[in-house]
Amino acid sequence: MTKVVIDPITRIEGHLRITCVVENGKVTDAWNTATLFRGFEIFMKNRDPKGIWQFAQRICGVCPTPHAFNSLKAVETALGVDKVSDSARLVRNMMEACQIGYDHILWFYQLNGFDYVNVPDALNAKAATPGLKAVQDQVKAVVDSGQLGPFANMYWDHPGYKLTPELNLEVTAHYLQALGVQQLANDAATMLGGRYPMIHNYVPGGVVQMPSIETIEFYKSNMAQVKDFIDTVMVPDLLAVAPFYLDLATYGQGVGNFLTWGVLDEKSQDPYDRLFPRGGIFDGKLELQKVDPDQTRQFTKTSYYGDDVGAGKHPLDVGQEPIQFTQLPPIEGEGLPQGKYDWTQATRYGDQNRPMEVGPLAQMLVAYLSGRPEAKTLVDSTLAAVGHAGDPMVLVSNLGRLAARVLKAKINADNALRWADDLLANIGGGDTTVYNELDYSRDGTGKGGWDAPRGALCHYTRIKDGKIDTYAAVPPSNWNLSPRDDSGKRGPVEEALVGTPVVDPAKPLEILRTVHTFDP
Amino acid sequence: MEHEEMSLFPGLSRRDFLKTCGALAGLIGLSGPMAVPKVAEALEQLAKRPAVVWSLFQECLGCSVNLLQSRKPAPANLILQQISLNYHEAVMAAAGDQAEKSFNDTVNSGDFYYIVEGAIATTPKEAITIHGKTAADIVTSTYKKAKATICIGSCSCYGNIQAAAPNPTGAKGVGDFLRQDAGIPDAVVINSPRCPGNADDTVAILLYVLVNKKLPELDSIGRPKFLFGVTVHDNCERRGHFDNGEFVQVFGDEGSDKGWCLYKVGCKGPVTYAPCPKTRWNGQHGWPVTSGGPCIGCAEPDFWDKLTPFYDKAPGFHIPGDITPAQIGVGLGALTAVGIGAHFIGQAATGRLFKGGPVEGKEEEAGPKEGGK
Repeated sequence: MTKVVIDPITRIEGHLRITCVVENGKVTDAWNTATLFRGFEIFMKNRDPKGIWQFAQRICGVCPTPHAFNSLKAVETALGVDKVSDSARLVRNMMEACQIGYDHILWFYQLNGFDYVNVPDALNAKAATPGLKAVQDQVKAVVDSGQLGPFANMYWDHPGYKLTPELNLEVTAHYLQALGVQQLANDAATMLGGRYPMIHNYVPGGVVQMPSIETIEFYKSNMAQVKDFIDTVMVPDLLAVAPFYLDLATYGQGVGNFLTWGVLDEKSQDPYDRLFPRGGIFDGKLELQKVDPDQTRQFTKTSYYGDDVGAGKHPLDVGQEPIQFTQLPPIEGEGLPQGKYDWTQATRYGDQNRPMEVGPLAQMLVAYLSGRPEAKTLVDSTLAAVGHAGDPMVLVSNLGRLAARVLKAKINADNALRWADDLLANIGGGDTTVYNELDYSRDGTGKGGWDAPRGALCHYTRIKDGKIDTYAAVPPSNWNLSPRDDSGKRGPVEEALVGTPVVDPAKPLEILRTVHTFDP
Repeated sequence: MEHEEMSLFPGLSRRDFLKTCGALAGLIGLSGPMAVPKVAEALEQLAKRPAVVWSLFQECLGCSVNLLQSRKPAPANLILQQISLNYHEAVMAAAGDQAEKSFNDTVNSGDFYYIVEGAIATTPKEAITIHGKTAADIVTSTYKKAKATICIGSCSCYGNIQAAAPNPTGAKGVGDFLRQDAGIPDAVVINSPRCPGNADDTVAILLYVLVNKKLPELDSIGRPKFLFGVTVHDNCERRGHFDNGEFVQVFGDEGSDKGWCLYKVGCKGPVTYAPCPKTRWNGQHGWPVTSGGPCIGCAEPDFWDKLTPFYDKAPGFHIPGDITPAQIGVGLGALTAVGIGAHFIGQAATGRLFKGGPVEGKEEEAGPKEGGK
């Protein structure tokens, strides 16, 4: 038995340790440990409901916008309001389209890229164009300087890197290009929201003002460029890189349960009618199920809270107190994690306490089964191309997760201009209401349920006497990076790691790949 | 091309390089005919890219995400050509033991600048660990070896959101932690607050240190004076509307569309020292107030507790006739000098006061309560 510990897992948002047991070249058991705790649900208590979303968006600086949206929705529904004006819906969709646009580009290139693209090997390429030559010179200057900076100490000699030098160079060039393209999406978010991350144009009841025509046109122009990059660079990169890494289709299957609360409202503001609709898939069966955020349950036997704090309770009944920190699982020696080993609570769904995978793969599968034409066309053509027509579950693997994120980025970008055009039509038709004041004297319980780019996200709140009585946020990482639950069942990433091949335990590149496909 | 090889920005022509130097000089407050040459010379003399170690502690990565929005220089140039970013967990290729090696190699050399994003947990310290070491231990030992320590974003400056009452993890800013808990009473760090930390601040401070070879002058809470000397309100492009008594009453109303002052819907610009209206954000495409939403005061220590509720008027700042029921309750008359702050005095001194300035009590409070446009 070989114990492999990776701490820190880099190129993620958050702080994560992975512990694996490797036997005969494969992972046979795995544990994930979040190594950061901040206590949001504790300090969000007793605050003013109208401004609580400003707290909420600080949960994640990579995806503040869906956290903000969830918080607005939780407060609005608690105060008896299920819908905002159509123009407010469209402004919020535009903000979210910027968020998804930048996030998936950043994820594909900056966070996942180094797992597949061997940057130093780009120096061995024959540069086909002056542009590629310039990039090669730039990489050469870094390597020749002896200061490798962010490229230092990676497993560049690992046999798992399979791209040709030319492809390594080309995708490295796109890595640098993507840094500029993500700015286009965030500039549009800044025109609408004042800055990015941490926006200012949201408020419970709508948005603070109708964007100017200039802002809307700026958004359209920038998102058209984002769409162009995804169509002409990112999708082709996926298609060029994937054939070298078909082995990724053979592992990382995970728990076979998929969940999404949906994201991007159509005019109905019905969660089952979203561009990416709400839904669930259980036990690997190709059947679409309705899902309810109130069926979320949390367990705490393996996390740093009292055992009976969780025990299968609704998020609003769990909270984060009292903290019961014991000790970190061991890095050195043969000892494995046991007892309490994670700051994350084990999050499960429904009566059967299922661990659920969340993220673009879940979003794409549910959109496909819901019959959304955008998803159906793209997924069907992808399946036909790989010889598996009509069998979307073949996507359930590390490779499928990579592909799903790119396809989702494309659908988002393809629809980004539609929200702006509909908003312009509303303005033209005189329908310019963007804000309705809420009645903060009411008591009530409410919830969001609107996916972040990395998966299902729901905020819950109870409002009493004009204040936040209780607040609970269940982000996608709580699902994917759940530790074992009270019955000992592994979380989705833990389960997906089991079976991951490890050629060299001293250079666990394959473990990094499996973890990164979940966009933690 | 010859001139490209000369520059530290190989992707830039000499002309664009000098333009960038001009922008950078402005950022760090240098002016006059020698400003651009001074910056250019300093950059060109750097035979080795300065090594940077960037720690992430109790944070959300928002400061790093904003760093990726930098324009002058663009992030690729910054990371590959101007600095050697030897350790940044969200950017670096290596992970685990290999990442730890990058950290130790650089820190043990003693030849690096230390940037911290995120707060330090004290109760328990294990609320944030990396490679089994607490942030408290990492920051203490790394501070001692760094050429300078720069705290980017309000978390590493003052604890920020996780330090909001009741501060469940005893979160602190780096300077306070080093001075109060780590036995380094004379610790000095540069604080560059705001939430998120601003890319231009980061570049400006790094550049200031590199060009001037010393720390910038700091205010009493560790902020460079050249960046944080003036309130948001004093530089706000909506200031004229404040002076004219033109306020947004309810979001989405006519005042919203006309870009009127957000003071009455909670803007904390009058009590917040930050350069947002001047330097703006994300390639200068906006700043919070341009969205129509109020400033929340994110550059100020403890703003989560001291400047909330966010949609209530800024505390400790009043305009003539702006009387709260509580103040009436303690018997103060409506036109006595209640709560005249520095700002009010400033207005009087500049002759702005009583020349069409706002007198809130005389305004119509007739903004629509619902269905605001």
